[in-house]
Amino acid sequence: MSIQNLNTFDPFADASKGADDDVQDGLVHIRIQQRNGRKTLTTVQGLSSEYDLKKIVRACKKEFACNGTVIEHPEYGEVLQLQGDQRENICQWLTKAGLAKPDQLKVHGF
Amino acid sequence: MAEDETIFDPTLKKKKKKKKATFDIDAALAEGNDSLDGNTLSGENDALVANDENDDANADIDLDFTKQKKKKKKKPFSTDDLEAALNDVKDETSGLEGTNQDEEIIDDNFDLDFNKLKKKKKSKKKDLDEIMAEVDDKAEDKENVDDNAITWSGSDRDYTYEELLNRAFEIMRDKNPDMAAGKKQKFVMRPPQVVKIGAKKTSFANFTEICKMLHRQPKHLLDFLLAELGTSGSVDGNSQLIIKGRFQQKQIENVLRRYIKEYVTCHTCRSPDTILQKDTRLFFLQCETCGSRCSVASIKSGFQAVTSKRAAMRAKTA
Repeated sequence: MSIQNLNTFDPFADASKGADDDVQDGLVHIRIQQRNGRKTLTTVQGLSSEYDLKKIVRACKKEFACNGTVIEHPEYGEVLQLQGDQRENICQWLTKAGLAKPDQLKVHGF
Repeated sequence: MAEDETIFDPTLKKKKKKKKATFDIDAALAEGNDSLDGNTLSGENDALVANDENDDANADIDLDFTKQKKKKKKKPFSTDDLEAALNDVKDETSGLEGTNQDEEIIDDNFDLDFNKLKKKKKSKKKDLDEIMAEVDDKAEDKENVDDNAITWSGSDRDYTYEELLNRAFEIMRDKNPDMAAGKKQKFVMRPPQVVKIGAKKTSFANFTEICKMLHRQPKHLLDFLLAELGTSGSVDGNSQLIIKGRFQQKQIENVLRRYIKEYVTCHTCRSPDTILQKDTRLFFLQCETCGSRCSVASIKSGFQAVTSKRAAMRAKTA
């Protein structure tokens, strides 16, 4: 018989893990901006900084067949920027890759 | 006669939906009272049937149908049929909720719903063909929707959990129609009038009117719109909103819908009768119907990418 009190159990294990997951309010904001003509730009803000955004953007560019870049912003941190309306694509991709849960994604714009 | 029913049935459905759909904010209370009067009658099962038939134009035919059906149903009753019927009812109610969620595209949803209904009826026909030889499927379907609590009231068999649950909810809805869990309150918005101005600007003509309808400050809605669309804009002399960029009415509608969901309808009871007040830098939504009070997300425009010519920007700042 094992004595429960002697088991090593860290009550803060999940707390420290949870803190890593979310950045600020834990939401990933996906926005769209109009450019000239019917061109648009999609920005993804709020992805966790422990992911390598450069790798993410490389995968996204290949997947959606668009160009994209990572922009360093003093307030919002690293922001993904993709050409064209990639809102649905990026939502699906982020959930599929397990980078964000569907309820964490917040899509803005029209 | 069967054909008569097929024509007749959808109109009835439509009538009911329209009744719900044309809910005005201001008329909501009056309407609620009306439906209360109507529904208090339907506490007894027989009264419910009678009530429904009063709405119909050809009440006699319907009466015949229901009686016939009841007799038939008692004999060959099996739990499988009932479960199928229950599922049907569930699906239909979920469809209804879907239509309630949307606001302006009600007509589209009607069409969708009809397709669904028709498909279901066809599949049902195959299942029940042996049992229900003569009885019209549609009449039966309708009755299942209307009064599924009645079907077992006379028999001796045990009630299933779902039947009792349905019955409890029916009674709850009948007694207090403006409850949150019951039917959803609907308020119809006038669609935003969106007109193009030239190639690069869009005008939102009835902006102030919509603000008044929602009982919100124009500035608040303006902030939200501009933050969501990621553009700039202003209200001009004719109290219309000029937004930079090309937008269609559908797109503005989408954004407005999101605004209403977040900042107008109560998060607890979904009634549109709310007040937005600012308290220590945070916006709070106070509901007038249920008295709940909750904070709402602040409007932040977030990251804005550079879309204009960088050289021009540099020239402007330098």
